[in-house]
Amino acid sequence: MKDIKRYSPVEFKVTPLKIETRDHWDVVMEYHNEGDGPWLVDLSHRTRLDLQTGNLDAKKPFGITIPATPGQSVLENGLLINRMNGIQSSIYHLAGDAIEMPGETEYTEITEASVFLAIMGESVFAICEKLSALDFMDKNRETPFLYQGPFSHVPCQIVTLSREAEKSGVVLTCSRGYAKVMVDAILHAGEEFGLKPAGEKRVTDWISSL
Amino acid sequence: MMNRFNHLPTLKIDTSEKIPFTFKGKQYYGTKGDTVATALYANGVRIYARSLKYHRPRGFYSMDGECSNTMMEINGVPNVRTETTWLKPGMVIKEQNVKGSAENDLMGFIDKMDWAMPAGFYYDTMHKPAKIWPVAMKQIRKAAGIGKLSPDHHMPGKYDEIFPTCDVCVIGGGPAGMTAALAAAQKGLRVILMEARPWLGGQFDYRTAEYANRQTCHERAVQLAKEVEKTDNIRVFTHTANIGAYNNNLITGFQIGTEKDSFTERYIELRAKSVVVATGCIERPLLFENNERPGVMQAGCALRLANTYGLLPGKTGVFSIGHDLGLEAAVALHDLGMTIPMIADIREDGQDPVLLKAVMDRKIILLKGWVATEAHGRKQVKKVTLKSLDGTAEKTFDCDVLVASAGFTPLTGPLVVNQAKLKYDAHTNFFLPTDLPKKMHAAGRLLGYENGLSIEASGHLAGLKAAYDCENCSIADLGEAKKAMESKPGPARGTKLVMAPVKGRKTFICFDEDTSIKNVKQSIDKGFDVPELIKRFSGAGLGPGQAGIPGHNLPLFTAKYQALPDIKIRPTTVRPPLVPTLIATYAGTNHTMLKRTPIDDLQRKDGGIFRNIGVWQRARYFSKDFTSRKEIENVRNNVGMLDGSTLGKFRIHGPDALNALQRVYVSDLSKIKEGRVKYTAMCNDDGCVIDDGVVIKLGENDYYFSTSTGRAGQTVEWIRYHTRYENWDFSLVNLTDAMGVINLSGPNARKVLEKVVDIDVSNDAFGFSEYKEFKVADTIPVKAMRLGFVGELSYELHVPSSYMKALWLILKEAGKEFKIKNFGVEAQNVLRMEKCHVILGQESEQRTNLLDIGLGFLWSRKKTGYKTVGVAALTQAEKDNSRLKLVGFKMENNGRAPRDGALIVDDRVRGHVCTARDSFSLNEAVGMALVEGDMSKVGTRLAFYEDECNGELIYGTVVETPFYDPAGQRMKM
Repeated sequence: MKDIKRYSPVEFKVTPLKIETRDHWDVVMEYHNEGDGPWLVDLSHRTRLDLQTGNLDAKKPFGITIPATPGQSVLENGLLINRMNGIQSSIYHLAGDAIEMPGETEYTEITEASVFLAIMGESVFAICEKLSALDFMDKNRETPFLYQGPFSHVPCQIVTLSREAEKSGVVLTCSRGYAKVMVDAILHAGEEFGLKPAGEKRVTDWISSL
Repeated sequence: MMNRFNHLPTLKIDTSEKIPFTFKGKQYYGTKGDTVATALYANGVRIYARSLKYHRPRGFYSMDGECSNTMMEINGVPNVRTETTWLKPGMVIKEQNVKGSAENDLMGFIDKMDWAMPAGFYYDTMHKPAKIWPVAMKQIRKAAGIGKLSPDHHMPGKYDEIFPTCDVCVIGGGPAGMTAALAAAQKGLRVILMEARPWLGGQFDYRTAEYANRQTCHERAVQLAKEVEKTDNIRVFTHTANIGAYNNNLITGFQIGTEKDSFTERYIELRAKSVVVATGCIERPLLFENNERPGVMQAGCALRLANTYGLLPGKTGVFSIGHDLGLEAAVALHDLGMTIPMIADIREDGQDPVLLKAVMDRKIILLKGWVATEAHGRKQVKKVTLKSLDGTAEKTFDCDVLVASAGFTPLTGPLVVNQAKLKYDAHTNFFLPTDLPKKMHAAGRLLGYENGLSIEASGHLAGLKAAYDCENCSIADLGEAKKAMESKPGPARGTKLVMAPVKGRKTFICFDEDTSIKNVKQSIDKGFDVPELIKRFSGAGLGPGQAGIPGHNLPLFTAKYQALPDIKIRPTTVRPPLVPTLIATYAGTNHTMLKRTPIDDLQRKDGGIFRNIGVWQRARYFSKDFTSRKEIENVRNNVGMLDGSTLGKFRIHGPDALNALQRVYVSDLSKIKEGRVKYTAMCNDDGCVIDDGVVIKLGENDYYFSTSTGRAGQTVEWIRYHTRYENWDFSLVNLTDAMGVINLSGPNARKVLEKVVDIDVSNDAFGFSEYKEFKVADTIPVKAMRLGFVGELSYELHVPSSYMKALWLILKEAGKEFKIKNFGVEAQNVLRMEKCHVILGQESEQRTNLLDIGLGFLWSRKKTGYKTVGVAALTQAEKDNSRLKLVGFKMENNGRAPRDGALIVDDRVRGHVCTARDSFSLNEAVGMALVEGDMSKVGTRLAFYEDECNGELIYGTVVETPFYDPAGQRMKM
């Protein structure tokens, strides 16, 4: 059968410089003229899981302890685990080799359910401020932390990974159907700060620097 | 052009840089830092506009846009407040509300007709007879009004928005505001400081009077501003007017962009844990005859013209003031070259001795207990009459400027819109804020403080109170700040005078609406005796200046005129926006956030015409024939593909998953077999159907179910809500966007599908209401269901969204030989209507339950013990024949279909049409309607009443349903 492609809901109007094919996805590693930041990266091909059970505290997905408090996140070995509420966590595979889907029925793969974006760079929170009233600079929250709230009026999960100068950045997911308008809104908000699309490599480098 | 000062430390202009602009078709030049109003003033313009009603000449009066006097049309946009608008190169400025020019307005004669237009004259005169009003209204609107805007005007510029968060928000960047911000910031808090003017400093900024220890107010403002700007945790928004304050300290404002900014105006909506309001005061206008004649201006305005913009307001200025700022302005302007023949001070005593000495040193005559009673001059002030307060003595002076001010009015807007109360204070003659909202504090001049040290101490205390709200300040620190505050001079005594001893025919309490004191008296005499009523009867305070001019004068005068022993009346209510701004600013960037399906672009390429349906954009048609005839016929006779990705899709799993489903669905889902599809419905507590869809059992305690597009967003909450008292262990995952859906429908659907799958999809192997999982091209995982919503052989293929494009193209390729075509939502709507399959919300409404719309067969009466939502109500309603019923109808004499929503009537309304179309499959018009129970019998004649039918009804008859393929063979073939 001819080559079957999987398509991300995000399409940047810039020319890719380097592409890798993974599990039927064409993953752009780098674009032409990515600039010096800030950057917007499409991570929609990266695996996301939902873990839901009444006994969440007993679970250790991929050997990682789930944070005890809703809103807290943990980043280990390229996996970001976000405690959403008493019974539910989201798991984002941010970097590293593909993960095996755990066998337990409590896990649901939700990679396809959302668009997955990273916004990185020093001015990331100035960009976020144009799209959301959520307080990313709240001193009472320690990175990484999760917000579940509106971003450009759309319900999102937004995880602040770092607030440290040029390492600053967030990853966000929202319903896949909003991908185009969400990307347009972010790029528009970031225009004045020089926000440009970038390939996955930027995220990989960023995650390894955290 | 006037000479400009360029040596003053307070100046904000750069006279070396000229800015060209066009006014009334001629080119003029302003200087960098000018507002439009100051640039015009520098070019000799004194009359900026004509007033709303009487077309009286109007000029520079205040400086912060408190009235409409200086509103003009700029670059085609009317009502621009030129006092607060930066001059930009190339601006085209026009006068507005004039016939001719502001200088020579042909409508100026109306000023003499004031006797014919008493307060409330619209109400009194123009409704007898009523037919006069439409004619009169047109003429009045021609004569009055403040500018015109084309309905298709496109607002130029970039409009932005931000939603910052902080610990403490300080509104007002004067000395109190800056001190408050510094106090809170020193406690480690994140502070936002909003200042309406383009720079910090407030009333200190333009004053050269001594602050303390030989430091001028201006120097102190610069010192504080530098401290603020170097404090990292204070974020300063200048040129940012506060426009609203709401519960939980939601503060709104708008910022005017500079050349360096990426926006023209930016809407700001911020959340703060605590708020300090340090908005200061404006001047309270002095009421006398012709008190708004060009050349009459407030003390602060005259002083700022000179000190900030380098313009001497005039050659000869008479002062009629009631506060020390007036004396200070007189001294300063005298020193800059203005001849000042006389200062009339309302106060008999209480003046600052230093200022008194300065006045005497300059040999300026000061009359205590005197006031201006009339400004003379047809278009501009030429002389002024002054009188002693008792009216016994009188003097007249020639002048070209009359500086007039009765006192001060605190700017309490942010507090009042957030529900603080105002109470009259006899010492300051202010209406002071009381009952402040939680975590909101007032500071500075608005509390009556005049002494610079007191103002700052007040700001410092408010800043610490805000820090205390954020749990970052100790009681001891607060105590110290309070002590420091108490050691400083208290609030200054305010002047009580409301109006000079005049009759008030041409004494204007509100400039925007041309409301005179005489009008206010007329209102009171007619029984409208409180400011809120006077405002509505006379118009005082209804103009674009947001009551900046009538403000506190209105309640003070109202109390005085009625000789009220105690001033319990209040100023009129102020509402957001406290400062008017553009609707474009409120609109902001305005991204339309609608969802697109995974094959949105493919359908657009195929000519799809999209419509917004709920949160989605969906292809409704695939041609400009909005009957969708070809799409419909292709599905009936051949094969079509529909993008059904918007359906809600969910996984529910866990030990109590079945319990949860049984709670919300009316059918008995314990009987679902693996490999089968169960169509069912959810009701609310009233038994009204809220959703329908299918449920599939994936495995033990593991189900996949679909919902209608409209309910997808609420399904998880709905199920959680209705199981909230159970300790059930189940998990719900919303997969709506994770799975795309392709509906492959039509008699040739199987032929297309079997070309792309390796499994047997014959009717025997994959029958109606069955479910299968398979892969297409060994790669694309598909959940497939045999359903029949459109009444034909159909496969509903659920596919991971990233594979949707691939599968869609594969099916399209496979279907080429069968001439497969897209069909849109409208075609689907007609196809399913012909089969009498309901769409909830279209064939149902709030009153209709499961039984009414013919879905009673879904209700399992044998299912007990699950407390299924809506079942109690359904049981009660089961024998009620009076309820609305869903019926099918055909039109008489092969007539056309009535419009959706048409009423069904006899001598009253008996129902309505849900969906009706001219059916190409049936060659006749058919439809479904909800009618009262007694009209639901087959054979009943229905009369349809449509919008604008002029009483001409069309008729149809209730018939058996479904219309198409009643035996249901086609979808089971």
